[in-house]
Amino acid sequence: MANQTPAVVMDNGTGYSKLGFAGNDSPSFVFPTAIAIKGPTGGGGGSGSGRPAVAQKPSYLTGGAGPSGHLSAKRGTEDLDYFIGDEALAQGSGPGYGVHYPIRHGQVDNWDHMERFWQNSIFKYLRVEPEDHYFLLTEPPLNPPESRENTAEIMFETFNCAGLYIAVQAVLALAASWTSSKVQDRSLTGTVIDSGDGVTHVIPVAEGYVIGSSIKSIPIAGRDITFFVQSLLRDRGEADSSLKTAERIKEEFCYVSPDIVKEFTRFDKEPERFQKYVVEQAGGRSVTVDVGYERFLAPEIFFNPEIHSSDFLTPLPNVVDTVIQSSPIDVRRGLYKNIVLSGGSTLYKDFGRRLQRDIRHLVDARIKKSEEKSGGVKSGGLEVQVITHKRQRHGPWFGGSLLGQTPEFRSYCHTKAEYDEIGPSIVRRFALLGGPGQ
Amino acid sequence: MLLLEYHNLLLKSILTERFNSATPASIDQVISDFDGVTFHISTPETKTKILVSISVKCFSDLVQHGALGVLEREYAGLITDVEAGYDFSLIVDLENLPAEPEEKENLIRRISLLKRNTMAAPFEKAIDEHHRLAEAQKGFTTETAPTGEGTEVMVIRYREEEAMYIQASHDRVTVIFSTVFREETDRIFGKVFLSEFVDARRRAIQNAPQVLYRNDPPLEIRNVAGVKDDGTGEIGYITFVLFPRHLTPQRREESISHIQTFRDYFHYHIKAAKAYMHSRMRRRVADFLKVLNRAKPEVEESEKKEKKTATGRSFRVQA
Repeated sequence: MANQTPAVVMDNGTGYSKLGFAGNDSPSFVFPTAIAIKGPTGGGGGSGSGRPAVAQKPSYLTGGAGPSGHLSAKRGTEDLDYFIGDEALAQGSGPGYGVHYPIRHGQVDNWDHMERFWQNSIFKYLRVEPEDHYFLLTEPPLNPPESRENTAEIMFETFNCAGLYIAVQAVLALAASWTSSKVQDRSLTGTVIDSGDGVTHVIPVAEGYVIGSSIKSIPIAGRDITFFVQSLLRDRGEADSSLKTAERIKEEFCYVSPDIVKEFTRFDKEPERFQKYVVEQAGGRSVTVDVGYERFLAPEIFFNPEIHSSDFLTPLPNVVDTVIQSSPIDVRRGLYKNIVLSGGSTLYKDFGRRLQRDIRHLVDARIKKSEEKSGGVKSGGLEVQVITHKRQRHGPWFGGSLLGQTPEFRSYCHTKAEYDEIGPSIVRRFALLGGPGQ
Repeated sequence: MLLLEYHNLLLKSILTERFNSATPASIDQVISDFDGVTFHISTPETKTKILVSISVKCFSDLVQHGALGVLEREYAGLITDVEAGYDFSLIVDLENLPAEPEEKENLIRRISLLKRNTMAAPFEKAIDEHHRLAEAQKGFTTETAPTGEGTEVMVIRYREEEAMYIQASHDRVTVIFSTVFREETDRIFGKVFLSEFVDARRRAIQNAPQVLYRNDPPLEIRNVAGVKDDGTGEIGYITFVLFPRHLTPQRREESISHIQTFRDYFHYHIKAAKAYMHSRMRRRVADFLKVLNRAKPEVEESEKKEKKTATGRSFRVQA
C-alpha cells in the first residue's frame, strides 16, 4: 500500500462535493460545490450583466464580446483569486466575491469554474500531485458523452493525471450496497433510489448499465421535506421556525411510520413521543420548539405526496413499480430483488422497511389479479427487497472508494498515454468496473 | 491561492474535530500528500488514542541527515513504535490533551506539519553547517581565507526521478532541484516560469535568493553519484542560492518551509497557467462561434415553404 499511491475519488454533485482517497470508509472532505470569484454574482449564469450585446461589434483581437468582468480580460494573478467549498460561501456573503455553482442538475454547467474548482480541490484540500495518482470521478446517469470528453480533457491536459475512470453514480451506489449483510451476490443489477437535496431519481441498472429510458425523477427531496417541516412549525406558531431549525428537526427527529392514522393515536396515547428541540439563537438566548406530528409526517410526503404538494401526486413506491415495469422483462426480477437506497434523504428510520412493504403490496396485488384472470394458475411469487446499509449518505462516493482500492482498478482506467494516443473520445467507453467475472 | 500551505489540511481538520469533540470515535484513514508521502491516521487500540504514521519515499536519506533528531525535538513525548509499513509514528492520547485552547491549537499545528518537519532535517543540517563554517571564516580576511568548496553534497531522492541536492558553504547554502517533465507543454510552461524566477531578482526583488536554471548538471553536483547528463535536456536543474540573510535564526524556518514546497508550488502554477489558458481558449471559441453564426445566410420564408413536397422530398425550380 505504501508504495502505490491511493486513487483519488471525487464525487461532484449538484449540492455537495465528496472528495477522498480510495480505501477510506468516508470521504475526507464534503463541502458545497461552490466557487467564489472576484466580481459580481453571475445570477442568470454569466451573461446578462455588462453591456448590451447588440451594440457590440465583433472584435476578434480583444475578445471583448462579453461581460468585462471575465477572466480572459485580466492580467496577473487574478485567476488564482478564488475560494471553493465552505470558504466560498463565507467569502461570498461579504463584498467583493460572487458565488457560482459550477454544477447544475448534476451536470457541469461552467467548465472554467469546474476546472478551477478541481484545481483547488486537488492542490489545496487533497494535497496530491495529480501526476502520481489515478482518479475516479462520477457522473450522473444520462450524462452526454461530450461532457465526459470535456472532463477528460481537463483531467489529462491540465492536470496530467496518471489515469482516469468515470463511473456512473447509480452504479457506484449499487457497489456501495455490497457492504450490507443482506446482499449475497455482488451483482450490479438493481434499482437505485437516489434522493439528495434537490431531486429524487429512480434509476434501474442492469448488469452495470443504466436503463436510460426507464429513469424517473420525482420533484420531492430533502429540501421539500425541510420546507414542509417549516410550514408545520409556522402553522403552529412556534417561537423559531427558521429553515435551519426545520432542517435540524428533520435530521434529528424524523422517522417513517408504518401507518399514519395509528401513529396519530399512538402520539395521543403516549405523550412522551412529543419532544422538544432547543434552539440556540444568536446573542446567547435559547428558545424551545415543540416537535410533534412532523416527526413522522415529514418523510410521509414520499408516500403520500398529496399532503404537501398538489402538482405531484404519485407516491414513491408506485414510481419505483412503474420504473421496474417499464424495464426489459428479463431484468425485472433482479430489479425488484435489489432496490438500493442512496443519498441523505433516504436515511430516515424504517424508510426502507416501509418502501419494501408498499412495493410488495403493489406487486402482490398485481400477481393476484393475473392469477385470477388466468383461471387458477399459481404464480411463483416475486421477491421484493429494499436494501438499507450504513454507507447510504455518501453511497456513490463509498462505492467509488470500494472499487478504487481493488487491485484491478488501474487496469480499468484510461491512462495518460492512451489519451495522448487516441484523444478525448477514449473516455466514451469504459470497461465495466466490478462487473461480472471478478 | 498563491502559495501552497505547508501543513496537511486533512490531518489538521481531523485532529481539530477529534480534539474538540466530546465523544471519541474511531478513525482509519489513509491520507496522501505531495511527493508520494502517505499518512495513516487511525485508532488501533482505543478510540482515545490516535496514531499518526507517515511514510516518506526518501526516509533513509533523511535519516542519514538527522531527521530523527529533528523529529525528536519537534514531537518529544509523542513518538511511539513505528507502525508496520510506515517510517515514523506519533501517538496522541485524547485523555491527556493540554488544557489551554492555544496549546491544543499548537499541538494540532505541529502534527499537521509532520511532513514539513520530516523533510526539514537536511536543510537544518545545512544551515547549521553554514553557520559553523561562517564562524570559522571570521578570523580570516578575504585574501587569506581558505577557498573551501563547502561541505559534501547531501542528496535527497524525494521522488522516483527527481532529487534535491543541498550543499552548505561559509557564505551560502545551495539547493539544487532536478526536475523532469513528462509532458511537452509542461516543459515549455516550466521554462517560462523558471526564466521569470531568474529574472525576478534582476528586476524588482533584490532580496530574493539567486536562482539559476540549466539543462546540464551544475558544477556542484557533477561528481555526485547518480547524476547523469543524458544530453537530451529532459532534466532541468534549478539552483537556489540562499544567502546568509535568508539563514538568520528568525528567517530560517520560513525559508525551509518555502524551499521544500518549491516543486509542488512550481507544478501547481504550471497547472494553474494551463487552466487559465484553457479558459481563454474557451472564451475565444465562443466568440468565434458567435461571429460564425452571424455570418449564416438568412433563409427567406417563401423559400422555406417550397422545400418540401408531400412525400418529404425536396426540389427546386431552376431559375
